[in-house]
This record gives sequence, C-alpha cells and structure tokens, in this order.
Amino acid sequence: MTTEERQLSDMLRRVTPEPPRRVTVEDVALRLAGQATGSGGSPGSEGSGPGRRERQARRGSAGRRWAPVLAAASVFVVAGASAGIAVALTSHHGSSSPSGTGMNSASPSASPSASPSASASAPAERVADGIWGAELIDREMLTQDTLTGGASSLYAIAGGDLERIDPATGDVVTFAPVGASIANPPVVTGNTVWVVSSYAGNSVVLQGYDAKTLAQLASVTVPVSGQLPAAPEGVLASGSGGYLYVAAGSSVAVVNPSTHQVIKQISSSAGPVTSVAVSPDGSKLYASTTSSFDLATYNPATGAELGFSAVPGLANTEGNLVATSGGVWGTSGVGMTELTWFAPDAELPRMVRVGAGTGAGLDSVPTYSGGTVWIGGSHTLECADPATGQVLASVTIPTDGSVLEYFGSVTFTGGRAYAYYQDPRSQQSGVVTLTPPQC
Amino acid sequence: MDGRPPEPDGFRDFVEARSNALLRSGWLLTGDWPSAEDLVQTALAAAWPRWDNLTRQDAPELYVRKIMVNTYLRWRQRRWTGEVATGRLPELQAYGDVFAQVDARQALIAALDRLPARQRAVVVLRYFADQTESQTAEAMGCSVGTVKSHASKALARLRGAPGLAELMTGGVVS
Repeated sequence: MTTEERQLSDMLRRVTPEPPRRVTVEDVALRLAGQATGSGGSPGSEGSGPGRRERQARRGSAGRRWAPVLAAASVFVVAGASAGIAVALTSHHGSSSPSGTGMNSASPSASPSASPSASASAPAERVADGIWGAELIDREMLTQDTLTGGASSLYAIAGGDLERIDPATGDVVTFAPVGASIANPPVVTGNTVWVVSSYAGNSVVLQGYDAKTLAQLASVTVPVSGQLPAAPEGVLASGSGGYLYVAAGSSVAVVNPSTHQVIKQISSSAGPVTSVAVSPDGSKLYASTTSSFDLATYNPATGAELGFSAVPGLANTEGNLVATSGGVWGTSGVGMTELTWFAPDAELPRMVRVGAGTGAGLDSVPTYSGGTVWIGGSHTLECADPATGQVLASVTIPTDGSVLEYFGSVTFTGGRAYAYYQDPRSQQSGVVTLTPPQC
Repeated sequence: MDGRPPEPDGFRDFVEARSNALLRSGWLLTGDWPSAEDLVQTALAAAWPRWDNLTRQDAPELYVRKIMVNTYLRWRQRRWTGEVATGRLPELQAYGDVFAQVDARQALIAALDRLPARQRAVVVLRYFADQTESQTAEAMGCSVGTVKSHASKALARLRGAPGLAELMTGGVVS
C-alpha cells in the first residue's frame, strides 16, 4: 500500500462510527423465517418516496411484539434499502381486522365503540423515566413524523391508514385507508384533514377527510412540474387564509381547500422542492430544494421570489421546514444522524443548531405547535422560542440499557402536549402525553 | 414450520464477533445504519444454510462480505435513490462548530457518495475490510486488474473531495 492508501485506510477506521446496535442471530433467524413463509409482499410493490423514514420506522423491531412487522418488512428490504418505500409497516390493527378491510372511511357513523385498535385502551404508563411527565396512552407503531394535532384530535398515519386518536384516552376512534404514500404529516385546515395520498410520477394527490369521521371529502390532483425529488421531507403545508401549499416537483401548488382547485403554481428556480413552509402571518412561503443547502422565499400571493439563501458546502439534505415569526427551522442529516437548525429571518448563513439531534437512524423533525417550537430526537427533548430560536427548556432523554429512546412529532392540542415515542429495546411505541415546563 | 434449517455450529460466535465490523462496512457502503443492518442481515441469512461448507473452506467472512457487496451493487443498480450525492461537501473549518459531531462522518459519506458503486465497494473491501486485491476481485467477480483500476480511480476522486484531505491527515475527531 502507498502512503495515501494507508491514510485512507486509517481514516476509514477512525471516522466510521460504532453501530448503534449489533445484528443478532435472532435477527437473521427472523429474516430467514420471513423469506421461507414469503410473508410481506413482493419487492418493488411499495411505490416510491423517501426510504429513510420507513426504514427507520422498522428499526429495532425484532422481537415478540414487533415480530410480524419485521417479517413483513423483510421482503421490502432488498428493494427498499435506500430507495423509496411508501407503505407503513405496522400491525396496529392486524389482530382485529385484516389490513384494508377496516372501517369504511365513508361511514359517518364511526364511533369509539368500533375502535379498530385492540391495544389502545390499556391504562397510561409512565415511560422514559417520566421525563416531562411522559405517559404512554396509545400503543402503536406509527409512521414516524406523522403525528399531528388539530380540531381537538390527534391524527397520525399507521399502516397506510389515517387515524384519528382521542387525546383523552389514546383510543383510535376511527381510521381510513389512505394508501401507500410518503410519510408526510397530515395537515388540518378547519374541519378537514389533508394527507398526501400519492406522490409519484406525474402527479401528487392530496386527499381531504372529515376531521371527525374521516369520511373522504376531497381529492385534489396536482400536476408535477419537472421531476419529484427522491427524498421529499415535508411537502405539504397550510398558511393563514387556509390555503394549502404542496411541493410538486419544481413548483409549489397553491390549493384552495374549499373549492379543491389549484389556484396557482409557483415555480422554483432552484429545482425540485423537497420541503415547504408558510410563515404564520401567511406572507411568506419558504421552499428548500435538492440542488443545494438552500432556502428560497416567495410571496405566496404573487409567486414572486423575495429572497434566496444557501450555505455552500453543506450536503443538500435539508428539509422538514417549519416557519415561525423569527425565521425558519429545518433538519439536516446524512445517514443515522439528523440535526435541527434555526435560521433567523430565513437567512441560512446565520443558522444555529438547536437540540442534540438523533441517532439510530431516527428523525428529529421540528414542529411548531401551541406557540412553541418543539425539537425531539433521541438525545434531548426541547422547546424553543419561535421568535428568537432560544431554547426555553431541555430535558435529556434516557436510554433503555444502552438503546436510544425516541421522542418526536410533539404537538399541542386541547391544552396538552403529545409526542410519538419509541423504545426499541422494550418494544414500546405510541403516543405519549407530556407536561413540559416553561414551554 | 418456518422452513429454516437449524442454527449451524459456530454461527452465533461468528455473528457476535464480527457483526460490528460487518455493520461498519455496511455503513460505509450505504451511508446509514438501517441499510447497513439490512445488508448484514441479508448476507448472514444467505450464509446460514451453507455455513458448514463455508467453515470447511475457512472463508465464512469473505463469503458474507461478498454477499454484502453484491447485494449492495444490486440495490444500486436497481433503484438506489437514497441520499442524493451532493457534489458539495461540508467546509469543516467554517461550519465545524455548528455541526461538529457529524461533520467528519458527513464529509466521509458525502465523499463516498461521489464514487460509482463498484469503486465504493473496492474502497470498503480493500481499505476498510483489509482484503487483498485478489480477495476483492473474487468478491466482486472481476479481475485483479479491474480492482486496481477501480482503486486508483476511487483514490483520485476522493483526493478531489473537499474535506477529505483534512480527514485523512487526521485533523478531525470522529
């Protein structure tokens, strides 16, 4: 070997991190069992979209409770390694009703007594050493980053279904199949819950559901301009005034949720848009693209570009934008670690890091709910001032043994805070209530 | 019931001893842990039924790495759309304080993302897994000459990756 080769070799050993967990013989046995029974589905049947979240949703899922998930997932693995998978892998209603034959989404008479979730009614349980009073009220494997609050309910995507969860009891009140899609959080406008139900090829389809019954009210097809990005991270947002903004390739479509019409398409000069956000006063639309670590600001009414900033040199993996009065928040990450940043006045070169990020391939997506910005992850749970970016409170997330526990998607509804929680070691996951201080 | 053969002798010891190193190779190939785990599990699942043969030939690890690399190459061929290779790399000096924890890893993965799949596989097998040129050639089903040419092209490409020079001379903590 030459000196250069030796240096490369040394560097690879030095920089390559230790894995968050080992592979065990039991993992391999489960994989073989999945292959032998042919459970799951066929490679390539899972549509397209970002691979990261689904692979992460599956993480740590070996063992009793999540075994069916892993077996079902095993066939997705080859095709889905880093490619897009849109199907959520979960068995949340697997025991009580076969997937796809759940409650009819058009049925207006859905009632709590018809809850499809067999596991939801167990009493609340203190988890993660009770940080911020964390109590698990709903036990499900949700698609990561999809928990959201609104209209006095919680909504999330699990197993390809949109679910309405009662914040008081954690029960899944009703659900509607939304099909294979990307893991984008639902957006609540008025009495309608919107989800991205299809994100592939030449169109992006939004579907609107009644916030109470989850009866389908609307379907809006938005044409894609140019190509869809390979890794969309937050493509649907709503602004004051009630319009929906959806990134569809190299443009952002403005949709009137009342008439279901696309009323404007704002084109992105910097290429396919990965994420959008709207300022709380509705005066600015922000978009990040695949071309660089960049952020464009548009006037959502006219489509005029108001500003553009970029950080040359950082990998272009920013996304999951959230806009507050003080600026724009988002994520940056490659591989297993994801960090949250805050850019005052949407000027990326001024950005600062917020929170301690995640490990273990999970997401640390900021949310803006109840007047506070929340940053979860697998190291710290924090709330921050939407105007200044200042962290108001921070708590260290404990580990279970050496396994990272995770809090994300913090959302505030009905005077309480909720988050999605995962502990791969104890195989617990679901919605927790939080009683955060000073947030 | 599930059609899987019983656990072969020595398999558990191998998995316990080597899964760490295999996972790290997988991370270098794919850039993230979930994919790395998938690769390692896929390879170990393929090795399980023929374990006795492999141990007789004294080559279980070479075989497992071979399956990992070939699975990785197949993924890349088929529908690899994961992290987009950037062409823009972290400026470690300027942003080191902001993203200190991940900069080195991010720079490394970004640099590896610039390599074609086969060059990346050669880098991992030759320079991380310490395989000889002929073992690497055998794993990848090509000639030793092709391995050499992949390696030299990869080195040339990595040389031009900003941030990598500092990493290679040991300036940044991992």
